[in-house]
Amino acid sequence: MNRRRVVVTGLGVAACNGVGVQDFWRANVEGRSGITPIDAFDVTDLASKIGGQVRGFVPGSYMPDDIAKRVDRFVHFGLACADMALKDSGLRPEAEDPDRVGVIMGSGLGGLMFHEEQMVAAFDRGAHRINPAAVAKISPNAVASHIAIRYGFKGPNMVISTACASGAHAIGEAFRKVQYGDADICFTGGVEAPLTQFNFGAYCALRVLSKNNERPAAASRPFEIGRDGFVMSEGGAVLVLEERERALRRGAAVLAELTGYASNSGAHHMVMPESEGSDAARVMKAALRDAGLQRVDYINAHATSTRANDAAETKAIKAVFAEEARKIPISSTKSMIGHAIGAAGAIEAVVCVKALQDQIVPPTINLDVPDPACDLDYVPRESRRTKLEHVMSNSFGFGNCNVALIFSRES
Amino acid sequence: MNRQEIEAKVRDVLAKKLGIEPGNISGDSRLAEDLGIDSFGAVELMFEIEEAFGLKIPDSDIMGVRSVNDIVGYLEGWLDEQSKSLNPR
Repeated sequence: MNRRRVVVTGLGVAACNGVGVQDFWRANVEGRSGITPIDAFDVTDLASKIGGQVRGFVPGSYMPDDIAKRVDRFVHFGLACADMALKDSGLRPEAEDPDRVGVIMGSGLGGLMFHEEQMVAAFDRGAHRINPAAVAKISPNAVASHIAIRYGFKGPNMVISTACASGAHAIGEAFRKVQYGDADICFTGGVEAPLTQFNFGAYCALRVLSKNNERPAAASRPFEIGRDGFVMSEGGAVLVLEERERALRRGAAVLAELTGYASNSGAHHMVMPESEGSDAARVMKAALRDAGLQRVDYINAHATSTRANDAAETKAIKAVFAEEARKIPISSTKSMIGHAIGAAGAIEAVVCVKALQDQIVPPTINLDVPDPACDLDYVPRESRRTKLEHVMSNSFGFGNCNVALIFSRES
Repeated sequence: MNRQEIEAKVRDVLAKKLGIEPGNISGDSRLAEDLGIDSFGAVELMFEIEEAFGLKIPDSDIMGVRSVNDIVGYLEGWLDEQSKSLNPR
């Protein structure tokens, strides 16, 4: 069967260094960190006390108050980003065949904030004090359902949960749905609201978070010799994917084309990457094959700022591109916004689309002294203007769930 | 707490839940027909009433509730029982 071409016609994003595509992208080009001391909950007893909170985000600006009141924070991000992406796309939901519009989102953790609150209520006051809305607010698929309910989108609807790769997986699967004709339009992306006492404490217990509490903006240091773990953040992003011919027919502004996707597993360990990065290399190769390409002009790396990931990912990039690897600019969005878990891949997809549009590679900030094990061109500290035709975004989730996406300049 | 006070408190809970002015809710207001509360909304409402008044309403008692007056009447009866058991004659 012929695969249809799929383009991006709308973007929405909420990240700790900027809400809305314009503010977010400017912050990335200027290399501005969104990491600060956490004040969303009590961090007194925790080793890590910093994170990427999305500040100044008012859910009621993007959705009616009665909806805002009924949903968890992760759905706030989803509804807000869908609202932005819809406006950006110029689509009118009422003018579309509802059965042909899908919603495929990623979330690693679902409605944790309300979940924790209700767990406390249940244990403190008895299980009969659990709020009747708990099931509806906690369910991870609430984010895709609420977007569908709001706009009446009746096509394929699901939430994919693969930890740190959730958002990228969602975009890849939505890509396939449109390629193979199961939908003509898909709202897709990822959201996460992981800054809660229990969840943050659990990641602290795993010893994967940076303890650079004195210098929050400098704590996320991918590829740098002094890196000591990742910085957790919250946020979301939604992309509107659309079959190319219909997008052109309706005169939509085509922001980029999605040309390649692959996913695989390292089948290795729940929280450790395979140290040679062979699974990461295989998924990148498969995405290149899917796009019919040999190389790309930029890689938005997964680059979490953990010792294990950044070294393994570097090996993987070398394994895929051989000598060419040294000539490809690579950068880490997480150096600025930390790691938004299930939202990360989607937020980084927005970065890729904007990079193609503006022909700018945003930097890896905080890269002062590179780790000798990380010896490629990571575009340190300052963004770079360069010619970009094809860009790759890597996302590797805990449990070795790997994804590579390739976006190409509209032609 | 007299009937008027109970009704005012119930209207406040409803107003907050529905995002409308308490003045737009009367004792005669029917939950489904006038206030647009569906069966899931009714379960949520009774939970909020329980939280506001500090009691547990058995599901069997929720079944008969159709209007604001029904809720107020139920709460009046419950508070009356409470005061009797607290002040034995």
